[in-house]
Amino acid sequence: MNFQRTWLFGQFELTRLFATKRGWLAIAAFFLVWLMVLRYPIYNAVPFISSYEFSDIVGQVAGTVGLSALISWPEAELAMFWLIGLFTFPMFTVFVTADQTVEDRNRGTLRFLTMRSTRLEILLGRFAGQVMILASLIALVTVATLAMMLYRDASLIASALPKSIAIWGKLLLTCLPFIALMSLLNLVTNSARMSIVFSILFFTIVASVISYLGAQYPMLDWLNYLIPGHQVTELTGWRNTPVFAYLLPACQTLVLLGTGHILLKGRDL
Amino acid sequence: MSTVIEVTSLSKTFGTKQALNNVTFTINKGSTVALVGPNGAGKTTLFSIICGYLKPTNGSISVLGHNPGDANLFGKISALPQDAQLDPKFSVAKQLSFFAQLQGMSRKAAEADTQRVLELVDLAHVANSKTGELSHGMRKRVCIAQALLGSPQIVLLDEATAGLDPKNAKAIRNLIASLQGDMTFILSSHDLSELERLCDTVLYLEQGQLSSHQSDLYQSEQGSFVTLQMLNLDTPMKDKIAELSGVKNIKQTQSDELVIEYAKQDEPFDLSLLTLIHENSWTYKQLVNGRTLENQLFVD
Repeated sequence: MNFQRTWLFGQFELTRLFATKRGWLAIAAFFLVWLMVLRYPIYNAVPFISSYEFSDIVGQVAGTVGLSALISWPEAELAMFWLIGLFTFPMFTVFVTADQTVEDRNRGTLRFLTMRSTRLEILLGRFAGQVMILASLIALVTVATLAMMLYRDASLIASALPKSIAIWGKLLLTCLPFIALMSLLNLVTNSARMSIVFSILFFTIVASVISYLGAQYPMLDWLNYLIPGHQVTELTGWRNTPVFAYLLPACQTLVLLGTGHILLKGRDL
Repeated sequence: MSTVIEVTSLSKTFGTKQALNNVTFTINKGSTVALVGPNGAGKTTLFSIICGYLKPTNGSISVLGHNPGDANLFGKISALPQDAQLDPKFSVAKQLSFFAQLQGMSRKAAEADTQRVLELVDLAHVANSKTGELSHGMRKRVCIAQALLGSPQIVLLDEATAGLDPKNAKAIRNLIASLQGDMTFILSSHDLSELERLCDTVLYLEQGQLSSHQSDLYQSEQGSFVTLQMLNLDTPMKDKIAELSGVKNIKQTQSDELVIEYAKQDEPFDLSLLTLIHENSWTYKQLVNGRTLENQLFVD
């Protein structure tokens, strides 16, 4: 595998977002949605969470669902952003990364590319490009949240910076298997839209069946590890996070990309 | 002459349909090969296997000593796949420059080479246009341009001139002719006169089988046949020509066309024929030394 070519594919994906009118419109829409989220749910929730009057009841409720560590953060904006981001970014990822190779395959563009690079380089390069796009978008919102928090209390910057970086890293890690799943679905469907439909079916029907089987037959419980995002509840509370919560998305990503490589290597273009 | 492509007992099956059946041939360096056959004969399948888009069901294929799709072939073999399109969201220059960079060129060299190949197909002025904004013919020429990036040793062009206006089709033919010798071309087209002008070897595929593999097309035919197209061709004309010294056989292949087989003798046959035409004040449209590709393939 040639890393230079793989890197070129990744860079080209970035230009798809940052060097096209369509890409800038997508960024603008994304940013406006998050502006609304920051302005209303997060901005309005912060005084409630931080208030002395409600601290007991908030603490009890948060403790019940394992979020007591988060609630104690003085950087309440970051805590809210983390909770919202952890559950919305994976879903958002499915839509943003829905077209990695499928439209190029339909159009025949992949035929031009395979004369100049291996199929693995194309698969990994496109995946890397999507990771960079997601990393940029998550960073954008993280910085916006940080700015809003500093506007309220600039003295929190020293503790907020490492937390922001950790949030960014954990959110990105959580999104990796979702990107890899879309890489794989691109190889078994005939359009980006069908890839989204298949992913929705996967996360509803397949995940429910696996969950049911795991509950009925404990020997099949391991099947749950095949579902991207299975570790999310372990990450939420920000306290005593088990190592597997970090390893699982990385392993899922490798398995999904490996399967994608086998499929792409053997298929006719 | 060294072999650049060697195909041995190649077969490809799609479900129950046999697209290629036990095809064997070799292609020498520097030759220009015509891939001919009716629709569904397996031409595009053969192209796709040589390019590595499809895997053969049986048999083997070696391109410059490597398997199709091998990383060692990047930049050495290029293709114009049938119906393949560039991404309509990006400019022509951006995509071609990206392809050139994938072939190992620096950004600057890639941009210069993009300019060069666009000039070759007379499309330098659309470098900054998105491919979605171009006409069908322009898109085709851009796709031909991408096949010329760098210095490929083998260029496969599937229906390169289909859909082009006559002027641009001629320009593409001239371009291919100017590059012959340095590169090995494999051309697929339904325009036999075009292939006849450009190619020295013909692969004729029919129902997935290679029914003829002719090398040195022109030289092997030269000297034993002439093809004559006449204005107002009639039987007395035909009879008089048949009486010429050395004529072995004469066949009318079209309403205005005769294929004359003759035995070589001291006096050049074409001179005798032209003298006869002049003496009888006939008008001829075309005199071809040898048989046309169409007659060789479809008229026996």
